[in-house]
Amino acid sequence: MTVDVSTIYLLDVATGESVEAELRDAIEQAQLDDWQTKWQPALLAVLQELARKGVPMSQWPQSWHWNWAQKTARVQGLLAFRGFSVVARGETQGLAQVNLTKASREPSQVGKPLVYLDYLEVAPWNRPELGAAPRLRGVGSALITAATVLSIDEGFKGRLGLHSLPQADAFYRKIGMTDLGQDPAYQNLRYFEMTLEQARAFLEEE
Amino acid sequence: MTAKRTMTLNLTDAEMRVLDELSVRKDITKTAVLRQALRLYQTIDARVEKGEKLLFENEATKEKAELMLL
Repeated sequence: MTVDVSTIYLLDVATGESVEAELRDAIEQAQLDDWQTKWQPALLAVLQELARKGVPMSQWPQSWHWNWAQKTARVQGLLAFRGFSVVARGETQGLAQVNLTKASREPSQVGKPLVYLDYLEVAPWNRPELGAAPRLRGVGSALITAATVLSIDEGFKGRLGLHSLPQADAFYRKIGMTDLGQDPAYQNLRYFEMTLEQARAFLEEE
Repeated sequence: MTAKRTMTLNLTDAEMRVLDELSVRKDITKTAVLRQALRLYQTIDARVEKGEKLLFENEATKEKAELMLL
């Protein structure tokens, strides 16, 4: 499989300088190796600290149990699923997996196909909610942008849907997505959708 | 964007009419309808091959019906 690689720019939070990064339209073995050997130990250290402080598991980062090796293997070879990764400074900074077989719920576009963001995770060292100052900013936005552009390329006109983990609700509202409320069929997570107009505004902003 | 190849597709009038209708109703091009159909067919086929069943449930009555794939 040929992987498309685009150059994007992230922000180094400490220095304020921009950092060149690769946006890759696949999740390859190198990314899974980074997840296993770099993300997992970093996340484990955070979880041990949370446990030591007596923080209940319900308040831990909700993606702590995600297994990217399994998620990727499960959809191997299926046209309905696509992966994206952001690589900078020689290591994986973010991963996303999308599903192209879902339909819109937002009233103005109900029933029309969209790109559904199944999973999006940013490397532990870039996540401000995990305690330490993040190293790079812009990874999550880059992955949302990639999913939105894919929606346009597939003829879905920028339509994008996702269930948000509670810690990310504010981010999806900030980028202009419509909050369609809690979904009892999906662990009561809030469901967000992006319309054609919202996608256009989001991409102009980026 | 991934490179694409072109092919000629022969459809009956009825098939073409359905393709047109789906294209309008789903707000996607006819090519996108066929690409979507291919994705769905492959996804369903892969799950059926693993021994799973394809069921439709009526939201109101909760009645389930199995779609048989030959």
